[in-house]
Amino acid sequence: MAAQAIPMVSTASEQAVDWDALAARARVARRTKAVVLYAFLIAVSLPIILPYFWLVTIAFSAKTGVADTAVLWRSMAVVIPAVVAFWLTAALAQSRRQLWIGLAAVAAIAVVAFALLVGPDLHLGNFIFLWEPDFASVVRSRIGEVKGAVQFPNVWHAFGNSILIAGAQTTIVVTVASLAAYYLSRFQFPGRSSMLRSLLVLHAFPVLTLIVPMFLMLYWIGLLDTLSGVIIVLVAFELPFAIFIMKGFFDAVPWDIEMSALTDGASRRQAFVSVVLPQVRNGILAIAVFTFIRGWEEYIFVFTFLIRNSNWTMSLYMYWVRDDVMGVDYGVVSAVGVFYLVPSLILYMAAQRYLMQMSIGGVKG
Amino acid sequence: MAKIEFRNVVKRFGDVEVIPDMNLVIEDGEFVALLGPSGCGKSTSLFMLAGIYLPSGGELLFDGHVVNEVEARDRNVGIVFQSYALYPHMSVRDNILFPLRFKKTPRDEALARVKAAADLVRVEELLDRRPSELSGGQQQRVALARALVKEPKLLLLDEPLSNLDASLRLSMRTEIKSLHAQLGVTTVLVTHDQIEATTMADRIICMRAGRIEQVGTPDDLYLKPSSLFVASFIGSPPINLIAGEADGGTVSVNDVRFPVDGASGSVTVGLRPEHLRFSNTGFAGRIAQIEPMGREILYVVETGMGAVRVLEQGSAAGHSTGEEVRIGFQPENSLVFATKGQKLIAGAHVRAPI
Repeated sequence: MAAQAIPMVSTASEQAVDWDALAARARVARRTKAVVLYAFLIAVSLPIILPYFWLVTIAFSAKTGVADTAVLWRSMAVVIPAVVAFWLTAALAQSRRQLWIGLAAVAAIAVVAFALLVGPDLHLGNFIFLWEPDFASVVRSRIGEVKGAVQFPNVWHAFGNSILIAGAQTTIVVTVASLAAYYLSRFQFPGRSSMLRSLLVLHAFPVLTLIVPMFLMLYWIGLLDTLSGVIIVLVAFELPFAIFIMKGFFDAVPWDIEMSALTDGASRRQAFVSVVLPQVRNGILAIAVFTFIRGWEEYIFVFTFLIRNSNWTMSLYMYWVRDDVMGVDYGVVSAVGVFYLVPSLILYMAAQRYLMQMSIGGVKG
Repeated sequence: MAKIEFRNVVKRFGDVEVIPDMNLVIEDGEFVALLGPSGCGKSTSLFMLAGIYLPSGGELLFDGHVVNEVEARDRNVGIVFQSYALYPHMSVRDNILFPLRFKKTPRDEALARVKAAADLVRVEELLDRRPSELSGGQQQRVALARALVKEPKLLLLDEPLSNLDASLRLSMRTEIKSLHAQLGVTTVLVTHDQIEATTMADRIICMRAGRIEQVGTPDDLYLKPSSLFVASFIGSPPINLIAGEADGGTVSVNDVRFPVDGASGSVTVGLRPEHLRFSNTGFAGRIAQIEPMGREILYVVETGMGAVRVLEQGSAAGHSTGEEVRIGFQPENSLVFATKGQKLIAGAHVRAPI
């Protein structure tokens, strides 16, 4: 019967099963799978890593008026072998120890190679915008073209505006979403299910289609070209999804815990604060991080609703830098990009432990 | 300690009437069990006592005072949930301390009481752990300590043992019972497990579809069940129920005839397996199956009336499968229920056919 299942070993008689051949076949299949998997991982990780790598390399190496791609090619000669070596180590390591030693070796070799090949070209000159508000004129003057530079605000001002928008948006969204989601999760009221459905529909709605009416509304209520106007719009668009996510977290908190708190002498509010909220901490962190990053990267709304350069956010600052000095000095543009990227990166790294748990949610009893 | 009273209590959820009309008195210091299948309204009654559900009608009294609208937090009721409902983000100490937080108990006194409660249920070494690091039985004890630390007037236990394994369940049963004896707090146990109810409670309230079927001591419910439902719900292995027609002093079931006193019309005869025994007289059957249960042996006997269960004391089977036997019983052990209304016909008994 086994022979029927494996027509390849037709030499075997009806009774005798060629176990060695079966094992060899399984071994080949397993190895093929592993090779395909790691080839795939290498193929997808390169396009993700390379742009960021280039961005950073350009920001630290490009020089005004010089279109030099040799540095990039040299840096690629370090990164691509490093990525391939990383996955090969992961594939071949037999134990945790070997894996760590292997990865450390790959990292060390990559760092040395990078220092040798790219190191001499690195400098901090492209970060001139951090200390020179009129950097655009300075950069242009290097190639003898001064007139017509945009009047840039201090980068730290734009940075502060971005922090303010993202921070205020996060605070409001987290507060409103937790309260609303708790109510939706725990209380029955007319229209509850249609409200839940509309939350999802709202999220699916392409917000750009609303940009003209939003512009008019902000104009009429006098919030056009103010940070608070943008914050209100962003909050409105972020809330539905945040409520939906938080409702899932609240649904996972058992009723018993709350009832227990109530009979233990807590009021409804005390029970919410001291027993229910700690159970959904991961959900709150998750929506806080996502909302903050959403506000931090916001571009279309701030571009449309904010006009004065004292209201610029980092994304607008980046836009105008690109508009003004691109072609003259793409190193400065990259440097602004790196500066813009750092807070998101720090936030993600600090919170990734909680973000990973987001899909799980709920309470460990 | 408190005396609890339900007066014509009604509970509705929307259009569904879960409890139509409940009247019940629980004496001060008593240990009662609300027993019934799932969905019979026993947990609903418990949550009304705790103050989590508001009664839709009638009056709920603690020591003669109507408490219908008193908030849960003001009732001083301790409750142990089936899931234990420990607060996962707090240590065991903080869990037990939690009820005292809202009573403005001085810190020293509160900690002393936590210590005492933990000692009572023997979890004093676990105070610094998290609930997730405890076994089921330990979580159960912590939940008990938390319910007891505020010295409640009323202790409510909602299926407290159903998440424990069999041997733990046995020891917790004894422990809860001795805790009750020690503290004398009025206790209401909700369970669907008749063994838990009969072993722990002074009185059992057997419920079905929101109505109280019978209130009585475990013996009352076992020996004098007021209805077919109670008879079939209490007892393991379950009672044999045989439906027949009573006419002219005999109950006829297929071709078997039982002489009967005090009943006529359509009836159901109830015979507990342990009241049946193999004898020279009685109705005839053939042993279809033998199930040794340790100290007892359960025989399933095929008779003219269908399968009948017979429980025999002893550990060695005196009979074998396929054997033809006759089964007799003492008339006073038999129960006769009217099929219409399913109530016990008091004083009616059947005798074994000869």
